[in-house]
Amino acid sequence: MVQTIAALIRKELLQIRRDRIMLRLIFIMPLVQLLVLGYAVSTDVKFIGMAVHDCDRSSLSREFVRSFSAGDYFIPRDSGLPLLEIERGFQENAYDAVLIIPPDFSKTLAAGGAARAGFIVDGTNANAAAISLGYAGIITAQFNGRTASREVPISLRQKVLYNPEGESIYFMVPGIIAVLLTMITVMLTAMAIVRERELGTLEQLVVTPISTPALILGKTIPFAILGFVEMSIALAFGVLWFKIPFAGSWPLLYALAFIFLFTTLGVGMFISTATRTQQQAMFFSWFFSIYTILTSGFFIPIANMPAAVQYLTYLNPLRYFMKIVRSRNASSSSCGR
Amino acid sequence: MENAVVLDRLTKRFGRFTAVDEISLSVRTGEIFGFLGANGAGKTTAIRMLCGLLLPTSGSGSVAGFDIYRRSEQIKLNIGYMSQKFSLYGDLTGYENLWFYGSVYRIPAGSLKARIGELASSLELEEFIRRPARSLPTGWRQRLALAAALLHRPRILFLDEPTGGVDPVFRRRFWEILYRLADGGTTLFVTTHYMDEAEFCGRISIMHQGRIVAAGNPQELMRTYGQNNLQDTFVHLISRGGADA
Amino acid sequence: MRKLYYIAAKVMRHIIRDPRSLVIAILMPIMMTLLYGYAINLDIKNIRLAVLDFDRTSASRELANKFFNSGYFRVPGASADLMDPERILQSGRADAILIIGPGLAKALEKGESFELGLTIDGADANYAAAAASYSQIVLGSFLKEHAGALGRAPGIALSQRVLYNPDLKSSHFFVPGLIAIILMMISALLTSVTIAREKETGTMEQLLTTPVTPLQVIIGKVLPYSALALLDGTLIILFAVLHFGVPFSGSVALLFAFGVVYVIAALSIGVLISTIVNTQQVAMMAAMMATVLPSVMLSGFIFDIDTMPAVLQCVTYIVPAKYFLLIIRGIMLKGSGVGVLAIQAVFLTALAAVLLGTASKRFKLKIG
Repeated sequence: MVQTIAALIRKELLQIRRDRIMLRLIFIMPLVQLLVLGYAVSTDVKFIGMAVHDCDRSSLSREFVRSFSAGDYFIPRDSGLPLLEIERGFQENAYDAVLIIPPDFSKTLAAGGAARAGFIVDGTNANAAAISLGYAGIITAQFNGRTASREVPISLRQKVLYNPEGESIYFMVPGIIAVLLTMITVMLTAMAIVRERELGTLEQLVVTPISTPALILGKTIPFAILGFVEMSIALAFGVLWFKIPFAGSWPLLYALAFIFLFTTLGVGMFISTATRTQQQAMFFSWFFSIYTILTSGFFIPIANMPAAVQYLTYLNPLRYFMKIVRSRNASSSSCGR
Repeated sequence: MENAVVLDRLTKRFGRFTAVDEISLSVRTGEIFGFLGANGAGKTTAIRMLCGLLLPTSGSGSVAGFDIYRRSEQIKLNIGYMSQKFSLYGDLTGYENLWFYGSVYRIPAGSLKARIGELASSLELEEFIRRPARSLPTGWRQRLALAAALLHRPRILFLDEPTGGVDPVFRRRFWEILYRLADGGTTLFVTTHYMDEAEFCGRISIMHQGRIVAAGNPQELMRTYGQNNLQDTFVHLISRGGADA
Repeated sequence: MRKLYYIAAKVMRHIIRDPRSLVIAILMPIMMTLLYGYAINLDIKNIRLAVLDFDRTSASRELANKFFNSGYFRVPGASADLMDPERILQSGRADAILIIGPGLAKALEKGESFELGLTIDGADANYAAAAASYSQIVLGSFLKEHAGALGRAPGIALSQRVLYNPDLKSSHFFVPGLIAIILMMISALLTSVTIAREKETGTMEQLLTTPVTPLQVIIGKVLPYSALALLDGTLIILFAVLHFGVPFSGSVALLFAFGVVYVIAALSIGVLISTIVNTQQVAMMAAMMATVLPSVMLSGFIFDIDTMPAVLQCVTYIVPAKYFLLIIRGIMLKGSGVGVLAIQAVFLTALAAVLLGTASKRFKLKIG
């Protein structure tokens, strides 16, 4: 049994090694994914392009516009379009918001009345639109406080624990590692047996005295090894390049990853035996990966999903592993979590 | 001398379709047995049952003295199998392929090395054994597949259309190797389309629509059915068998 | 032309005879649309906020209720420990703690300054940032209600308006974007894998010994998959409009025309990949790296390009999905015409032309 499994593993690793492109993909993929995702993935809403129509052109209106540029939230600039054509700018994606200040703005304020200003936002990206509406409201409230020559009396002192710089990288990179581990192990295992079936080599294998458990183990262990190699590369990169503080215990992380791999390798193996061609296997593993990644809380908080979908996420092994890697890395909580 | 393969009214049904219908035959140890039949006659199903890959519906059978219902593990250790379709790993070299199959048959590393060398020289494969199997010409690929099937010195060798797509010179030399094996005591169970090849066999059986319609020495069969060659005998039997089915 | 037809018919037969793949090819986009339409909601809601109220007045209770009634925050399952409030964050049972010290009501009455404490679990930076800004919004509206009592001047009233998506539905943003992803996946991934399959099983050699030219083989292979891709795209649009109520304000013909250009770009990438690799496994991995990943991550599908580092922003210029996303969102949501989409159209077409040229050149070199 052991000799048979060892022979299968040796053969599988030899085949992986023989394919130059495959080998490169296996090593480059996690790095590229980490780099791209680590830097690109940010749902922060910042640098919102804001066109300004200042019909008042007073020092007060200019000051009001200036208050929008504080904190990198908005980048105010002149729209350069007539008031009636501001929608063109939205269509050309030249800006995402417009601030309109009516001609009697400073006069009304000076008279102690309520001056109206208009704020129009492109709702295409619902999330960004909601946040820019919020920012605009806060900026206006603060400006009102200042012009009334008194501070807003009640303030909020905010303190962020565990990740005080607000680096989304600290949160994303461990998540990416979990996603990578899922995709690589499910897809490669899914193709493992069906590939031999399609190429006809399975026919020769089944007449040998290899037992079914030996065949399955021999076909999954190489991908488990590969998964661990990928995870280690990604972790090393995360710690050395992205300087992610690693507060938890390494052996515990690997032990939990080992348990997690049982689920992905199992699914992969199931797909591999249930399909007839590699194309089908690929389809099914894609489907599985997309479902697990989307419902794992990787970038969409589970709490946001409708109740029915939230229950579905309990069936998702990645959901738990995502929690594990993230808590292991981001905070120093204990094993009990 | 005991029989290498004994089948008694072996039957396989898939739903309502009977693929193999009560076939009985026996193959003597050291014999070259030709298992003939048109495509779809049930040859492949029969061979799969003999190799322990498929359980029969009814009837009984033993291969190398082991019962085909209960001892498929033992059967697999004692048989070699080579199919018409090249089924080794194209991206591995011949040597790597042989090493892999040797390990699967639980041959210890020390003797495996010697065994590979021995087979490579007897099959004249030395030149090609370090090249990726994919890049070998068809004839050499077939020899490599034969070497893989022979590594563990099987008592019975199943050959499913072993010479498909190979030129006549190669075929002739391949049969010389098979004769040598049979002389050494290995039983050969061969399916083939080539009737001239079938004449090389000590005994043949002809299968049609799941049944064995004739069996015996090729020359005897030709005489019995009054035909000049095996090809005509085959066609005669098939059309006759079709008539009474 | 007839040969082409035969090859395309052969591939079509392959697709139809393989009901499992067909079911997935049609079901997957619908499932993904449902998932994206319902599950993906980047607005952060239901932040679990533990409140420690040391003031215990009607004002402090009003403030706490204001938080919970805002829709952004909800009461966590456990309550915070007075002695060690941060423990509840560490154990993961709450996302933020609001500490109202004694004296809030008094400060409100007298107009004195007063400080509230908010401690946020920062592990998910986006979540933390949202919690921080939402709490400011809530506090802002709380203060506005008490403005009369504080004797404040009315100041500026900001009247806000949202265009194109007044209900701020995330599905309006994601579902059209999904079409870009699915078209890319089906076209690039499937073509590269299907051509690699012919290479891997050796049938490509056999096909090339027949009098068909390699180019005909490719076009014949590619056509059915582009048809499948466009069919999937249509399905998603129908689903988006009928089920999710996503508006379609622009021209259908214009979108279809751009869709074809985009599919050509995607197919070219698929062919390009198939000339490099020999097995389906590698084709799949390469296609994933070269097409799916950038189309999801670097196209503006989920993550805003403007907030990426400059280097990555440069990379996005060669991602076809970036242009198609702007086009499809423009046409569907904003009713944009050719005039305003000219730049995207030029970039997308140029990209498709370059990819098609490179792919056919490499194909002739490697396979033909």
